[in-house]
Amino acid sequence: MTVDPHWASGVCAGLHAVGSRHVVYVPDNPLSHVLRILRERFSDVRTTLATREEEAFGIAAGLYLGGARPTVMLQSSGLGNSLNALTSLLVPYKIPALIVISMRGDAGEWNDAQVPMGRAVRPICDAIGLPHTTVQTPESTSETIRLIGQTAFGTRLPGVCLLPRRLTVPAKAQA
Amino acid sequence: MNRIDATRQLVDAVSADPIVASLGHPAYDLFAAGDRPANFYTWGSMGLASSIGLGLALARPELRVFVVDGDGSLLMNLGSLATIGWSRPPNFVLIVWDNEAYGTTGGQDTATAHGADLEAAARAMGATATATVRTGDAFGAAIARARLEPGPWVIVAKVSESAPGAKPPLDCVFIKQRFMAAIGQPEDATRGGRA
Repeated sequence: MTVDPHWASGVCAGLHAVGSRHVVYVPDNPLSHVLRILRERFSDVRTTLATREEEAFGIAAGLYLGGARPTVMLQSSGLGNSLNALTSLLVPYKIPALIVISMRGDAGEWNDAQVPMGRAVRPICDAIGLPHTTVQTPESTSETIRLIGQTAFGTRLPGVCLLPRRLTVPAKAQA
Repeated sequence: MNRIDATRQLVDAVSADPIVASLGHPAYDLFAAGDRPANFYTWGSMGLASSIGLGLALARPELRVFVVDGDGSLLMNLGSLATIGWSRPPNFVLIVWDNEAYGTTGGQDTATAHGADLEAAARAMGATATATVRTGDAFGAAIARARLEPGPWVIVAKVSESAPGAKPPLDCVFIKQRFMAAIGQPEDATRGGRA
C-alpha cells in the first residue's frame, strides 16, 4: 500500500480550500502522489493532462474565462516551456491560476541538466511579476498553497507555490 | 473563399456563442466581421487559441465554444489536438483558417502548403467530427452541423488571404471582462458586493 506523503495531501487540501476544482498538469515523479490522492479522495476535482506546459496554461486560461479557478501543476523544467503563455496571455489579461511547481535543480539534485532552470525559477517569477512562495515543511503545505491561491485569485495574477526537493523526495532517495 | 468572407459567415451563423480568436489576422478579421462582447481576441500566445477554447468548453458544457485558429498557429501547438481528442468535449468547435501561409508575418509557406493535412491529424488524434471545406457553401453547411451535432469538431477551411482592415481593442483586461460578462459569468472583481 502506498502511504500518502503529508506534503502531497497538503497540496490537494490547499487547492481544494481555495476553490480550485480543475487541475491541468504535466506530470513528474513527486506530483504523481498528488494526482493519486486527488483521484482517490477528491472526486470533485477534475484533472486534465496537457502535452506540454504552455498548452496547460492555455487550457487554464480558458477554464478561468468560463468561471473556474484553475490549478496548473508542472515540474520546474517546464517553466521554460510556459513563458510565452504566461507573459503574453495570463499576465496581460490578468488571468489568475494557482501554479504548483515541483522543483528540480535545487538542493539534492543529481542531474546537471536540471540545475540551470532550477536556479532560474525564482528570478524568472520576479522578472515577469508573479508572486511566489516556497513550502517549508510538510505540515504547512496546505496553508501555503491556500494562501498563494488566495493571492492569485484575489489579485488576478498567476501565483506560484514551489515544492522543494527536500520536501518531495524521501531522504533515502536523495542519496 | 477568402478569410474575411468566411469569418462574416461564421459570425452570422453563431448568434450568441463565444468565439476565441488566434492572434493576428484571425482576430483582426473577427473584429472586422462583427465586433461582439462574446469575441475573445488574443494579442499573443501564438498556438494557444485551441487550448483556451478547450478550457472554456470544459468549464462551460452548456455553451457551444468556437475557436478561429490559423494553420501556422495550430502547427505550433499540435499536441492540443491530442488533448482535445482525449477530453472530447462535445461542445467544442475548432475552425482552422488554412491559407497555407504565415499570413500575419509576410506570407511565408507553412507545412500545409507542402502536404501537411490538419484534418487528418485531428481525426488521428481522436476528433470525432471533422471536415475540410473549400467553398462558402461547404463551410456554411459544416458550421450548421457543428452548431447542432456533438463534437469535438475540427473544420479545416481552405481560405485565401484577405488583408485585414481593422484591429480589435488593445486593452486585454477589457477584452477579458467584456467576454466573461457576455457569456454569463462576470469576473468576480468587477461586481462589488457586501463589505
